[in-house]
Amino acid sequence: MKEVLRLEHIQKYYGNKGNITKAIDDISFQVGKSEFIGIMGASGSGKTTLLNCISTIDTVSAGHIYLDGTDVTEIKEKKLAGFRRKNLGFIFQDFNLLDTLTLGENIAMALTINHVPAGEVEGHVQEMAEKLNIADVLSKFPYQVSGGQKQRCACARAMVTHPQLILADEPTGALDSHSASMLLETLRGMNESMGATILMVTHDAFTASYAKRILVLKDGRIFTELRRGQDGRKQFFGRILDVMAMLGGDLSDVR
Amino acid sequence: MYAKLILRNARRSVKDYLVYVITLTLCVAMFYAFLSITSSFYKPDIGVEFDLAIVNGGMKLAITAITLLLLFLIQYVNQYMLRRRMKEFALQTMMGMEQRTTACMFFAETLVMGLFALAAGIAAGAVLSQFITAMLLSSYGKEYVFSWTLFPDTVLLTVGFFVLCFALAGFFNVRTIRRTKIIDMLRADRENEENFRKSRWMPGIVLLYLLMLCVMVYTGVTKAYYYYDVRYAFVVKLMFLGNILAPALSILLMAVWWLKRKHRDFIRLCQILFPALFPVAFFAAMVPGCQSAYYLPLGDGTRNSYMMFLTGVMAFLICDVIYLANSVITGWKEKSAEHRYHEESLFFYGQIQSKLKTGTKTMMLISLTLAVSVSLFVMVPALVGWSMGFLKQRAVYDVQVFSSYSQVYEKEKLPSENYEEITEYLAECELRIVEDCLFSLYLPREEEFHNRYKYDFPVLAISLTDYNQLCRMRGEEEIALAENEFALQWQSIATGEVEEEFVREHQRVMTDAGELVLAEDGSYRALLGETLYNSYTDVIYIFPDRICGNLLAVNRNRYILTASPVAYDAAIKLEELFQKWYMTDREEKSARYYIRTRSEQMSSTTGSIFVMKASMTYAAVVLLVSCFTILSLQQLSQADQFGYRFGVLKKLGVDEERIDRLVVKQLVFWFGLPVLAAVVVSAIAMIYFFTSISAQIDAYIGAAALAEQVAAILSILVTLTVCYFAATWVLFRRSIRSSF
Ligand SMILES: Nc1ncnc2c1ncn2[C@@H]1O[C@H](COP(=O)(O)OP(=O)(O)O)[C@@H](O)[C@H]1O
Ligand SMILES: [Mg+2]
Repeated sequence: MKEVLRLEHIQKYYGNKGNITKAIDDISFQVGKSEFIGIMGASGSGKTTLLNCISTIDTVSAGHIYLDGTDVTEIKEKKLAGFRRKNLGFIFQDFNLLDTLTLGENIAMALTINHVPAGEVEGHVQEMAEKLNIADVLSKFPYQVSGGQKQRCACARAMVTHPQLILADEPTGALDSHSASMLLETLRGMNESMGATILMVTHDAFTASYAKRILVLKDGRIFTELRRGQDGRKQFFGRILDVMAMLGGDLSDVR
Repeated sequence: MYAKLILRNARRSVKDYLVYVITLTLCVAMFYAFLSITSSFYKPDIGVEFDLAIVNGGMKLAITAITLLLLFLIQYVNQYMLRRRMKEFALQTMMGMEQRTTACMFFAETLVMGLFALAAGIAAGAVLSQFITAMLLSSYGKEYVFSWTLFPDTVLLTVGFFVLCFALAGFFNVRTIRRTKIIDMLRADRENEENFRKSRWMPGIVLLYLLMLCVMVYTGVTKAYYYYDVRYAFVVKLMFLGNILAPALSILLMAVWWLKRKHRDFIRLCQILFPALFPVAFFAAMVPGCQSAYYLPLGDGTRNSYMMFLTGVMAFLICDVIYLANSVITGWKEKSAEHRYHEESLFFYGQIQSKLKTGTKTMMLISLTLAVSVSLFVMVPALVGWSMGFLKQRAVYDVQVFSSYSQVYEKEKLPSENYEEITEYLAECELRIVEDCLFSLYLPREEEFHNRYKYDFPVLAISLTDYNQLCRMRGEEEIALAENEFALQWQSIATGEVEEEFVREHQRVMTDAGELVLAEDGSYRALLGETLYNSYTDVIYIFPDRICGNLLAVNRNRYILTASPVAYDAAIKLEELFQKWYMTDREEKSARYYIRTRSEQMSSTTGSIFVMKASMTYAAVVLLVSCFTILSLQQLSQADQFGYRFGVLKKLGVDEERIDRLVVKQLVFWFGLPVLAAVVVSAIAMIYFFTSISAQIDAYIGAAALAEQVAAILSILVTLTVCYFAATWVLFRRSIRSSF
C-alpha cells in the first residue's frame, strides 16, 4: 500500500516558558492510500491541534510531516496556500459553505481556485453531486437546505479536486443522528468506491466506528490503536466503547 | 463598579467606536464651522463698504434646515453601533443583568464617546471655519487673513444642539434595547435569511414613475394646440409631439407587460423601461432649450414642470440602473462559463449579488443623494458667477433717486425737485459727478392719473432724449424715433410671453398729444436699472420729446455716475440724509422719494449671494459626507460576515494576496456603482444645466474661468472619494485579517 501521510515525532507546545501546554506530545503514525482513519479522544486531547498541524494551518514545534513525500513543515509560508489547495480537502464541523453561493457554486469554487478550465467545471460538479446524492439541490442556497445536505455539499467540495488527503474535523458534530449516519455512509462510499484517503477527527464512538483504523489520543499522546480488521461495524463499535471505558471516558455522548 | 465596566467596554470597543466618533466629529465640525460665522463675535475684515447682518440671518436659517440632514446621519451611526453591540447585550442580559441597566450602560458609553466627539468636533470646526472665512472674504473681494473663531455663543449653541441629539438618540436606543427580546439580540448580526427577501421598494418607484408619465402626457396634450401653429419650426413640432408620444410609449409598454400575464416578470418590466426612458428624458430636456431658442410662449410654469419631469426621469434612471445591476451581473455570469469559473470570480459575484439583493434601497438612496450633492457642488460657481455678474448689471448707477406718485391725489403736489442737496453732498465728499441725468416720467393720458388698483397702474413714458442719455450712461446703443412713433423699454424680469402679448395689444397708443404708432422692432431691453418703471409694470413707453412736453409729469428721477465709487459709509449717510431732506408725513398725500446707491446694493446682494454659496456648499458637503459614511459603515458593519466568508476562502487554500485583491475588487464595486451612477446622472444634468445657461455664463462669468472653478471642485471631490475609499479599505482589511 502506497503511503500518503507520515508523521514523525510531532510535538506542539502552546504558551511560553513558565506555562507550557503540551497539546501534542510526540506522535508518529502513517496513513496509506485509500485508508479511512479516525482520530478519537476526549475533549482537549489534542485532536484539532493535530489536524491543524497536518493541514498546515498551524506549525509544529518539533517533528516532521510528510505528505506524499513532501515535508510540509519545510514549505515556505508563501507556497502553503497553493500546497493546501492542491493536496488537501477539508470538511469542517460547521460546514464552512459560502452563504452567498448556491451549493453547486460552492463546489465549483474549489475547482476554479485550482484553475480547472472553465469548460470542465460543470461536468465535474454534476458528477460529484450525483455520487453524493445532492444533484437536485445544486441550485439552492445553503440556508435553503438541511444540515446533512450542507455537509454532503462540503464533502463534494473536498472531493471534487481529488486531493491526496481529505481532513474532516468532527464532520457530524452539527448534525442530528439520522443525517450523521447518512453522511458517514457518504464518507465510507467516498473511501470505498472513489478511493479517497480520509482522516477524520471525532470524539464520538459511533462516528469513529465507520473508520477502518482508529488512533485514540489521550493528553497529546497516542493511547492506543484499533483496527477494524474483519469485524462488522457494530462489533467494532463495541470494541471502541470498551477502550473508552478503559480511558475513563464519559459515555454520555455515545449514541 | 458600573463606571469601570463602561470605561472598559469603551476601551475595548474603541475600534467600533472609531467610526462613530469620526462621523460625529465631522458632523460637529461642520455644524460649528458654518454656525460660527453667524456669531455676534465674528468680525472679519470685509471692508467698510459692506455689512454682515444679512449674512447672519440667512445663514442661521440655512444651517437649521441642512442640519436636519445631519440628524439623519447621527441616527444612522447610532443604529449601526446598536446593531454591533446587540450580541453583547444579549450575553449581559443572560448573565442576569437587567435589560434596563444594559441599556443605560450603553447610553452612558455613547454619551462619553459623543462628548469626546463634541470636543474634538468643535476644535476641528474652528479650523474648518477658516475655510469659510476665506470663502466669505473672497466673496467680498478681500484677501484672506486669519481670524479667531472660537466663540462662546457658537460653542454653547453647538453643545446644546448635539447634547439634545445625543439625548434623543440615547432615549430611543434605551427603548429599543429594553424592548428587544434576547433571542432577537442574539440574531441581530445574522440577517442572512432576511437578506434574500425581495424588495418592495422598486415596484413603488415604478408606480411613481408611471404616475409622472401620465402627468407628462397630460401636460403634453394640454400644450398640443401649439403643434398646429404653422409659424413654428419643425424642431418645435417634434418637441411637442415627442413630449406626448415618448411618455405614452412607456405607458403603453407597461400596459403590454401587464396584459401579458404569463410573462409578468418585474425585472423584465424594468429592462423594457430602461431604453424607453431616454426619449422621454430627451424630449423633456428639449422644452427649455426650444423655449429660449424659439421664444415659445410657454411660461415659467411649464418650463419648470418639464425640468421637474427631467429630474424625475433622471432619478428613475438611477434607481433602474441599480435595480438592474443585479440581473445584468447574473446575465453576464450565466452567459459564459469563462466568466463564471475564472479563479475566484464566483466568490466575487456571490458577494456583490448578495449585496445588491439586500442593499438596493440604500444604494439607490446613496446614488440619488450623491448625484444631488455633486450637482450642488458644480452648480455653485455658475450660480454665484451669474448672480455676481447680474448684480453688476443691476446696480447700474452710483446714485439713483426716484419718486412715486402713488400717494398723490392732487396734481399740484406732483414733484418737480432737482435734488440739489445730493450735488452738494457729493461735492462735500469730494466725489466728482461724471454724468448726471435728471428727468421726468409722464402719464400718456392725464385721465389715468387716478388709476390706483394693483393691475390698473398706467405704463409711464420717458422722453427720447432722456432715454438716450440713460443709454449713453450705461454704454447701451441709442435709438431714434420718427415723428409719430413710440418705442418700448422692458425691465429684464419681464417674460417674453408678457412682452409679446403687450406688443400685440399696443400697436397704437393714444396720448393727450395725439396718437402714436409702435416703431418697427421698437421693443428694447436695455439694462437701465429697476427704478424706471411705474408700480406693478415692467415697461415704459419712449415718446418723442415733442409729445412729452404736452403730457403730465408724475415722477421725477435723477441718476448719477461718479468718478470713483461712493464708500459704503458715505452711501449710508447719504441715504439717511436724503430721508431727512425728503421726509414726508405718512398722513400727507404727497409724493414719496427714494434713493438707491450702488454701494448699498452691492453690499446687500453680495451678502445674499454668499448665503447661497455657503448654504449650497454646506448642503453638498453634508450630503457627500453622509453618503460616504453610510457606504463605509455598511461595508464595515458586515466585516464579521465577510470575515467568515474570506476565512472559508482561506481555508480552501486561496492565498492572502488574492484575498486582498478580492477585497479591493469588492470595495471598488460597492463604492464604484453608486458613485458611477451618480456621476453619470449628474454629468448629464450639469452638461444640460451649463448649455441651458451658456448665454449667462458667457455674459457674466466666462467659460474658461468657470471651467477652472469646476475642475478645482471636481478634483476636491475625487480626493474626498479616494480618502473615504482608502480609509474603508484599511479598516475593512484589518477586520478581516483579525477574524482569520
Ligand atoms: N491556541 C491555543 N493556545 C493555547 N492552548 C491551546 C490552543 N489551542 C489548543 N490549546 C490547548 O491544547 C490542548 C488540545 O486542544 P485541542 O487540540 O483543541 O483538543 P481537542 O480538539 O481534542 O478537543 C488543550 O489543552 C487546549 O487547551
Ligand atoms: Mg476540537
